[in-house]
Amino acid sequence: MSDDHGYHHGPHDWSHGAPHNSWAPIVISLGSGVFLFFFAKAFTMNEGMNGYIYDSAPLPLAIAGLAIIFAGLIAWWKQDFSFDGSYEPQATHGSAPFSNVDIRKVGMWVFLMSEMMIFSSLFSTYIRYRTSIVSCYSLEGTVVEPGTACWLPASYFIAKGGEHANSTLGFMPDALVPGAINTFALIISSYTIVMALKTAKRTDLEHAERSIKVRNYLGATFCLATLFLVMKMVEWFIGFHIGPFEAPSLLSDQFTIHNDAYTYNYGHGAEAGAMTVDIRMAASAFYLTTGTHGVHVFAGIIGLGYMVVKAHKGGYGPGNAVSIEYFGLYWHFVDLAWVAVFPAFYLY
Amino acid sequence: MSAKIMGFDAYNFNFFWLMLLTAVEVGVVAQSENMAWATLVFVLVSIGIVKFVGIAAVFMHLRFAPESNVLTATALFPVIFIVLLVLMVGLTSPSAVENLPAFCRPGYYGL
Repeated sequence: MSDDHGYHHGPHDWSHGAPHNSWAPIVISLGSGVFLFFFAKAFTMNEGMNGYIYDSAPLPLAIAGLAIIFAGLIAWWKQDFSFDGSYEPQATHGSAPFSNVDIRKVGMWVFLMSEMMIFSSLFSTYIRYRTSIVSCYSLEGTVVEPGTACWLPASYFIAKGGEHANSTLGFMPDALVPGAINTFALIISSYTIVMALKTAKRTDLEHAERSIKVRNYLGATFCLATLFLVMKMVEWFIGFHIGPFEAPSLLSDQFTIHNDAYTYNYGHGAEAGAMTVDIRMAASAFYLTTGTHGVHVFAGIIGLGYMVVKAHKGGYGPGNAVSIEYFGLYWHFVDLAWVAVFPAFYLY
Repeated sequence: MSAKIMGFDAYNFNFFWLMLLTAVEVGVVAQSENMAWATLVFVLVSIGIVKFVGIAAVFMHLRFAPESNVLTATALFPVIFIVLLVLMVGLTSPSAVENLPAFCRPGYYGL
């Protein structure tokens, strides 16, 4: 191609792999917008805000959005697959303060800045409602009008075990086990991805041996990310009964976004009581925030799946190890978000 | 990155402490029935901050790399907006829950 700024493989030389000016992310963004818009139109809350109305008409367009995303991903991967690091554009000397920094790295950080704003909006919403809606705990022992809105945190069902006292380990309820496993899984996956980067940079290994090690580290990260989402599904929808460990799902515990008549039983013996309360706000904040985080994990799984295949084909070495680093930045951000989500929503 | 922290490989050192702090975090909550609310919040926030810094500084290379300083400044840039967002949206107008304007409510845009 003509406009390669003197490099053999320029930014527009798709056939030799130069993903830096790829149009594919724009296509993926467009597809995401189409999917989210029409998917949201398919499910709307009813007037009483205690149930939803399903409309199948927008679904074909939502599926079209998914198809656009998929096409964008295929195009992006095709462009990247042969990229060996021979053209890694850097900011020039005149572009302070980023002089000589890889443009992709700066771009990734700008992307992460926008991600910070997304999670900040979710957290400010959480703080806003949690500080202004009365806690259900503080209403214990009082006469409460049925349907009164109060904040029953997800931690009541998870960290406290809800009405289920099953605690096989003795020091924590079984309901907290999936969340605890997920926390460790993400921390370990952050470690395996940096080990993949570190290994890919090693020049003392033969290419074949290095590729196998990189693939294994990336594969481990992929498995841990998948474990995270499986545990999330177990926690939300399935529940578990494995040997002595047993806990119901949040769904079967009726912690749902349209439950305006939750029966909250509290206390023991003479102090025991019950009230019927509206817990929609707490449930909405929980599912929206942890769900958004889960979507990020899912996106990471898709990216990791591709990277495992590329590593298996020997596609990573010292020349293009930074590609792993840039994906790693995203993955560490997902871990960082969980560092805030886990204590705020699961433990407190 | 082949940086060292106290003589140990930075990645391994960071990983060890992150695992330990996470275990402490879960353990503290498991014992939270006997703990004051303020103490629980303080412990969770403290551990969260340390883990946050560990991941960002070591795993995300905001330390120990030539361009760390400028990228740290880049990463911290949104903080001013985040602080404003949390302060203005999160901690103000106690009656806003009941008095949200119509354009903030579901259904206003036909969605």
